[in-house]
Amino acid sequence: MKICALLPVGALLVASMLGCIVRAAEPDLTVTPLARDGQVLVSFELSDGFTSEMREAIQSGLPTTFSYQVELRRATPVFDRTVASITITASVHFDNLTRRYQMSKSVDGRVEDAQPTEDLEAVRRWMTVFKSVPLSRTTALEPNAEYYVRVRAHTRPKTTWSIWPWDARAILGLAKFTFIP
Amino acid sequence: MAATVTSIAPRRAAGTPRTPLPPPRRPFRDNPRLILAGIAVLVVVLAAILTVANRTPRLSPDFLTEFVLYALSAADFTILIVFVWLLVRNIVKLVVERRHGLPFARFRSKLVALLLAMTLVPAVLVLIVGSELIRTSVDRWFNAPMDEVLASANQIAADYYHERQVQVRDHATRIARELAPIDLTAGDVRPIRDRVAPDVNLQRVQMVEVYRVEPTAGSLQPLQPVVDIAAPALPPGYGRAAADRLAAQALTAPADAHSIEALGDSGDLLHAAAIIRGKDGRPKGVVVATDYLTGDLAARSRRMTRAFEDYNQLKVLKRPLTGVYLSFFLMVTLLILFGATWMGSYLAKRITRPVQMLSAAAREIGAGRLDQRVEPQSADEFGALVDAFNTMAGELATSRRRVERSTIELERKHVEVEGRRRYIETILERITTGVVSVDAAGAVTTINSAAARLLSLSRSVVGQPVHTVFDRADLQPLAMLLVAAAGARPESAVHEVSILREGQEVHLAAVATALVGDTGAPEGAVLVLDDVTPLIRAQKVAAWREVARRLAHEIKNPLTPIQLSAERLRKHFAGGSAQALVDECTTTIVGEVESLKGLVDEFSQFARMPAPRTVPTDLAQLVADTLALYNGIFRDVQIERRFAEGAPLVRLDAEQIRRVIINLVDNAIEAMERRGRIVVETQRDPANGLVRIVVADDGPGIPAAEREKLFLPYYSTKRRGSGLGLAIVRRIIAEHGGTIDVGDNTPRGTRFTIELPC
Repeated sequence: MKICALLPVGALLVASMLGCIVRAAEPDLTVTPLARDGQVLVSFELSDGFTSEMREAIQSGLPTTFSYQVELRRATPVFDRTVASITITASVHFDNLTRRYQMSKSVDGRVEDAQPTEDLEAVRRWMTVFKSVPLSRTTALEPNAEYYVRVRAHTRPKTTWSIWPWDARAILGLAKFTFIP
Repeated sequence: MAATVTSIAPRRAAGTPRTPLPPPRRPFRDNPRLILAGIAVLVVVLAAILTVANRTPRLSPDFLTEFVLYALSAADFTILIVFVWLLVRNIVKLVVERRHGLPFARFRSKLVALLLAMTLVPAVLVLIVGSELIRTSVDRWFNAPMDEVLASANQIAADYYHERQVQVRDHATRIARELAPIDLTAGDVRPIRDRVAPDVNLQRVQMVEVYRVEPTAGSLQPLQPVVDIAAPALPPGYGRAAADRLAAQALTAPADAHSIEALGDSGDLLHAAAIIRGKDGRPKGVVVATDYLTGDLAARSRRMTRAFEDYNQLKVLKRPLTGVYLSFFLMVTLLILFGATWMGSYLAKRITRPVQMLSAAAREIGAGRLDQRVEPQSADEFGALVDAFNTMAGELATSRRRVERSTIELERKHVEVEGRRRYIETILERITTGVVSVDAAGAVTTINSAAARLLSLSRSVVGQPVHTVFDRADLQPLAMLLVAAAGARPESAVHEVSILREGQEVHLAAVATALVGDTGAPEGAVLVLDDVTPLIRAQKVAAWREVARRLAHEIKNPLTPIQLSAERLRKHFAGGSAQALVDECTTTIVGEVESLKGLVDEFSQFARMPAPRTVPTDLAQLVADTLALYNGIFRDVQIERRFAEGAPLVRLDAEQIRRVIINLVDNAIEAMERRGRIVVETQRDPANGLVRIVVADDGPGIPAAEREKLFLPYYSTKRRGSGLGLAIVRRIIAEHGGTIDVGDNTPRGTRFTIELPC
């Protein structure tokens, strides 16, 4: 059999596979660094990250997690240097029997807060909005130097599938600032 | 089909066909155990895949989406890459083999292509159809009726919980309102208990806990339990911790002051808190009312909710699950394709390799390497074919060894014959005996150098008929001898034949012998020629020496009385009338007698010449010293000396050789009538181990017919002379082992050439 004869079959196969690929709408991660009171505070918000798929996942009772890796980095000509980093994890678990959301928040693995709620909007804010998270002390920064804060967000569980799973699932947000003491 | 494939290896044992070296086994393809192990591993992998696929719904979503999915994708791509590599490798190998024209490459290509087509096309079709089937099947899991049933069940359970919780909340609110007038800080709690107990006893609620707000600011525990009444129906193991937390929460967030405490299999406790406010509206206490849902009820509710959640979770994870199933399916398909491709290639090689080995071995044997063997490893038809091939190769090798031995023997005999031929040829070339052979057709087959020299023939006459070669008149007798001998008359007799060579008569002793083959058929004749001229000359000289000796003896004896008588007559008749006559006569007699005496002395000397006493002598010096005797004697005679440089010492009798030179030079001077030019020359002939002395004059020369007579005794062309000079010269030279020849000088005159061994 000639190879040419197999091409339509292969194309059909690839098309069938690609048909399963569903790409979510591109969310936006807004990062706002602030140096105050001897600390570098970071506020960030994941817009459009609380998608309908995530809502369905939460409503189904799946433990859902938004994980944020927040890094304070110093830009250098060769390799950027990480000054400080923390990992913030916001999780929610919905009990369909009691209709209550049990939310928790941990920083670098330590549970910082846990709350129940019956308000889905409160859940959205809990999962996507973070205000003035202390990232580092300003003593670790050099005056008048340029830094940037990079936030990478991951969501679990994964509700999509593509034939090539190693896509860039991380949602990236970045904000530069010059440290002026 | 052959079960095993053998390779070709040279056999190295001495004396027997060389033992084949172990063929270079391919570690996997030629090892059935490894093949079985590989198949077992493949089956285990497939079983594991099926097991994981069956348990997929029970896996945690994170494990499913973060590990299983990635692992399956990685495995799929790895298998795909390996499969493509294997496919491309096999195709490239087949193309290369076909281009190189390897045996059975075309057949193998067709076989592999057929097997690939038989597996690839169905596998791809099954993959496409199966993928679509999986997708549609997964979609069909989630249909509207199931949605509604599960949602309704969950709604019922949740509503029931919610209703019971509302009731508890209402009871808590009512009790809080009823306790508002009561002083919670009093030591007597009976009024409180009396008020609360009916609710518990009447099972409106299962438990009531009343807390008092401590008025002291800064207290670590602002709420202090006052009354705690619980129904006996409550399961053991419940605690107040949940009620305590809820009471504290009620102070800060009264709207959310309710909770559900799960007791496991014992059921659930529904807590609700309400603030007891004083007249001023400030909280003075908290009431926590608790209702109890039995274990069966709670479990049923939980199961309904769990079914709903599982269904919804599956729905949410529909795409990853579909991906997992498709990945599983793709993996199985790729594994089947991989196995089919490999198996196709393997089977093609298994089929063609024995034949290729046989073909390669046949080529090796065709190239002359008969020690090639194909190792039989199977007992099937291919094994029998290999055995037959090896038997044939062995017989070929044996035959070849016999032929080689025969060839070696023939070569050895050929070498011997060739050596013998060279030996005979060398002898024939070196001997002075001439040999001429003719074949049965009468053509000359060989003529050695001696024969060519004796007969004045070129050696290029080989191959020419005898009559053509021997067409000269003096050679006709030899031709007749050869023809007669070739006529199958084996008896041979010596015939003396005289021929002319360079104007000189040469006496040959010729013997012609017939050559007869093993069958008696005539194969030609051989003519053997010996130059007997020196022998005849020696015989003549010997005869003459005998004659001279007798003559000298017989003549010399009467000469003395004759001389004495003549002198007596002269004395007797002295002074007489006849004195003049007597003197004249006696003088004549005495003179002639003296002359006769001289002649007799020469004869005597010729007859009694002593044997030469040879010593190493410088020939050039000897010749120079001898020629020095002529210095200034003959003014009109020029003697030119040409001596070869570096001539070795020659063993000779200097006195006799000096006499030879003087004789030749004297003869030359006489022949030139004492006017002319004489060249005396010495030459080297290292190739023949000779030195030559040449005496050449430019006199009138000697006719060819008289040259041989020159060396006979008593032959002289001079008016005076005994005629013994050249005879003595020849004898001296002969006794030195040399020869002397006479010939024409260029441009005129006579040339004597003496050859002496050195």
